[in-house]
Amino acid sequence: MAKTVLIADDTAFMRMTLRNVIEKNGYQVVGEAADGEEAIALYRELQPDLVTMDITMPKMDGITAIKEIMRIDPQAKIIVCSAMGQKPMVIEALSAGAKDFLVKPFDAERVVESLRKIGA
Amino acid sequence: MNEQKLDFLRELAVIGTGHATIALSQMLQGRMFKLVVPDAQMLPFTEAADYMGGLEQVVVGIFVVISGDVRGYMACLHPLDTARLLVRLLTGQETEEIDELGRSALQELGNIMVTSFLNALSKMTNLLMMPSVPGLAIDMAGAVWESILAGAEVTNEVTVIRTKFSAEGEEIEGHIIFLPDEDDFRKIARQFGLENLG
Repeated sequence: MAKTVLIADDTAFMRMTLRNVIEKNGYQVVGEAADGEEAIALYRELQPDLVTMDITMPKMDGITAIKEIMRIDPQAKIIVCSAMGQKPMVIEALSAGAKDFLVKPFDAERVVESLRKIGA
Repeated sequence: MNEQKLDFLRELAVIGTGHATIALSQMLQGRMFKLVVPDAQMLPFTEAADYMGGLEQVVVGIFVVISGDVRGYMACLHPLDTARLLVRLLTGQETEEIDELGRSALQELGNIMVTSFLNALSKMTNLLMMPSVPGLAIDMAGAVWESILAGAEVTNEVTVIRTKFSAEGEEIEGHIIFLPDEDDFRKIARQFGLENLG
């Protein structure tokens, strides 16, 4: 069965771009969240195999959401997809429990490679 | 403003905008961009909008507030025609009207460009510069400028770094604008070993 993915990003355009890349490569996108709070609620509800998480989002940022999701499920597999590639932010995201960090703009191959590696 | 400070500001603008246009190029399948020599000015707040290209021209502005070790404001401005072309290139939509998806694409593009600019400066200075969730406004430049600085505690003069970029052979152009907080600007300069700027 196809692995399930939850996408969290505040812009509809990026959610659409990621959905296209992810679905073309045999994964099933089960939900889209536009902020950190929605990401947590959808994670609880859908229990996806993988999550792509933006950092800069309204209401609740991605780092806070990663911490909360890791508290709910320490086995959660979260890949950060953010433009914010500054070192302190990367370190914070990884120590919060993210498994990989992709800096936007990214190419499709890099996303797929990360899904394969982290989802294995 | 002394010549040394202006030189330093121009240098920052070249580096930052260089990275921003690399990001833009990656999103547009490798189109090449060139930068027009950037300029930096210290202006009375009221004159800044004029400097941005006149109050009357309709532009699309994507703007963020910067927090962290360096505070300030950043914006990416495109003339409306460029914005329409960017929407078409990013979404494949052939429309004059910029709809919700188009706005979202421009917002993401602006966000990535502005953040790439900040990432480059952060890497060189070891200072954290976090952009807020980007805002987007389609309006006359004067009104967009007011949106950018809404809530800014700007009382007299602002330091504005402006770089124009354009695509080779295509009608894509825009401006990147960086307004660092004055005290934090000195912090950036110190990281480059320049102690007495400003």
